[in-house]
Amino acid sequence: MITARLGAALLAAGVLAAGRAGPYDITLLSTPAAPDARGSARLVSAESPFGVAVTADGRARYDIELRITGLPAPSSLGAYRTYVAWAATPDLAHWTRLGPVTNGSSTVGTAEYNKFLLVITAEPGSEPAARSGPTVLHGTSPSGWLQTFLAHPIFRGAPG
Amino acid sequence: MTFGPRFTLAALVLLGASPAAAQRPDSGMTMAMPGMASPMPIPMPPGMVMIPGLVGLAPAVTPFLPGVGVDPASLAEAGPMRTVTLASGDTFDLTASLVRRVIRGHPYVTYAFNGEVPGPLITMPAGATITVRFHNRIDLPSTVHWHGIRLDNRFDGVPGVTQAAVAPGDSFVYQVHAPDGGMFWYHPHVREDIEQALGLFGGIDVVTAAIDSAPVNARAVLFLDDLLINADTLIPFGREVPDFTLMGRVGNVLMVNGGTDYRLAVRAGDVVRFYLVNTASSRTFNLSFGGAPIKVIGSDVGRFEREAWVPSVVIAPAERYIVDVRFDSAGSYPVLNRVQAINHFIGEFRAEVDTLGVVTAAGATLADHHADFDSLHTNADVVRDLARYRSAFDRPPDKRFTLTVSTHGLALPTAQFMTIDTAYYAPVEWIDGMPDMNWLSTADQVRWEIRDDATGKVDRDIDWHVPVGSLVKVRFFNDPKSFHPMQHPIHLHGQRMLVLARDGVRNTNLVWKDTVLIPVGSTVDVLIDASNPGAWMMHCHIAEHLGAGMMAVMHVDPR
Repeated sequence: MITARLGAALLAAGVLAAGRAGPYDITLLSTPAAPDARGSARLVSAESPFGVAVTADGRARYDIELRITGLPAPSSLGAYRTYVAWAATPDLAHWTRLGPVTNGSSTVGTAEYNKFLLVITAEPGSEPAARSGPTVLHGTSPSGWLQTFLAHPIFRGAPG
Repeated sequence: MTFGPRFTLAALVLLGASPAAAQRPDSGMTMAMPGMASPMPIPMPPGMVMIPGLVGLAPAVTPFLPGVGVDPASLAEAGPMRTVTLASGDTFDLTASLVRRVIRGHPYVTYAFNGEVPGPLITMPAGATITVRFHNRIDLPSTVHWHGIRLDNRFDGVPGVTQAAVAPGDSFVYQVHAPDGGMFWYHPHVREDIEQALGLFGGIDVVTAAIDSAPVNARAVLFLDDLLINADTLIPFGREVPDFTLMGRVGNVLMVNGGTDYRLAVRAGDVVRFYLVNTASSRTFNLSFGGAPIKVIGSDVGRFEREAWVPSVVIAPAERYIVDVRFDSAGSYPVLNRVQAINHFIGEFRAEVDTLGVVTAAGATLADHHADFDSLHTNADVVRDLARYRSAFDRPPDKRFTLTVSTHGLALPTAQFMTIDTAYYAPVEWIDGMPDMNWLSTADQVRWEIRDDATGKVDRDIDWHVPVGSLVKVRFFNDPKSFHPMQHPIHLHGQRMLVLARDGVRNTNLVWKDTVLIPVGSTVDVLIDASNPGAWMMHCHIAEHLGAGMMAVMHVDPR
């Protein structure tokens, strides 16, 4: 517990010290399923020959850098073997699997939404077709900051 | 329409009402324009209304349009761009004058070089030197800036830095030496928000075999532009200083090669090499060709290290990109600008699609370049040329600049609204989502700033000297917490530069640039090849940001 909190504090301090907090930073919030988990994400423009990476219809394309501490073993939450990051539209209608994540730093796949929720769930495998396990961390992309999603059951740690 | 031998120019076709064209005064509100005979409505985006607190206000400038009192019928109608092929030592006359332009059937008094919009497309071999006699026959002082060309500093065309402005009726002789191959362009460097916006721009194709002898079926140069028109009236400009200084003037009539009726005819299976130039004051385009595959070849000053497939072409003001596009099957391919607009009032994004023209493919190609198009080539000569610069890539920046803005005296509703404006972030603002507030903001109220982090000095107060022959690493940070964060296409005159990294991520496919897009909140590292002595302007190429002070001078001193 102490290690996890210290890690989270260092993580936050590191972000601030590096001057990286900004419009492309997402603070990840924990849920009752993993209350000691902490993390942050940074949206990095995906590779492109142009000044900014976008889709053909103009949506920004971001690679997502994650820094996470305090995730328990997935098996401690049930029949789960890994954690997976997802990008979801604010209405939760569309989900994109970004890739498996662990404690520490990792870069997952590309999000192509104007505003989205970043969700990390426990899953039975690393390439699930759909989200099924409990949410352990979640955050909101900058353009969604004026909305809150905390009331939704999946952000209170309930299984999907 | 007369075309040169190297370019197949396309005519444009208007394909129906587009989102940009739908920008109309749907609120029914109008704003009074001092000095104008009638109130002047500002077109609003679909679904948005003017802020009530701004109704009845007008920017604190004298409205200006060229040729007031001139009967448009008395002026010659602007013609299409013609190609002029010049050899080293040739002399060419370039005259800026009033013309009549017919846009969507309505005549407007605007400007043109040699009576053409765009101005003449000058083609010349790399390494050549030409003489251009510029004659100013418009109603404002002017100059000609040779954008991207590393020429002699005396001929860079910047009033107050390299020459005095050319008064109406006067002339100036430029010698243009073009050491690099690529697609460059020319435009005035006096009140670009008026003169360039109203048609004073043209292209310079500096020919090299590496770019211009590739196996393609056709070549076309597209100047992407826009104009802000309400019904049948150009929105006037500020006579004393620019207005629209928050966002820049984003037009609601999108154009290619000065018209709204672009059309290109090709054969099925043809590969077309497009030379794209963004001459708009503020608009960044996201261009695609109806799903046809696009391969990016080059940019401002030459070719990329490696060709790359792209879903679309993001091109900021003043940038150039060279792309190959294959039109596989018979049919029509719309030339599209597809972007995401933000409605700040309700915090929603919405897709906007404007059709700029159409490419029609019919019949079978006469020369199959399929195999070459399908290959992504690595340009070994470019990679080899860059090798001598790589040792400088990882060193600390020599200079750090922050891009920001300061304001005073804006209307209170504007200042209040900005607190929610920044709640919705996009790295690029594709449209003007707040044209009423934007219109009211003048360069007397808004100062866009390039701030030297080391000294705190801003814009023209920055004292920046580097020795000729040096490599200068510069870090730009576009402050997302400023009053109005916005992207900035930063242009450096007379030199070339490489984009080394964006937000700490190394760029692995380099190309020489003269204009670099700095998105909102981004940190961009560039390496300047300071090889050309003189005093060189560095500025945002959003014309109204430039007019609101966003410029500095880099002195490249002789050793």
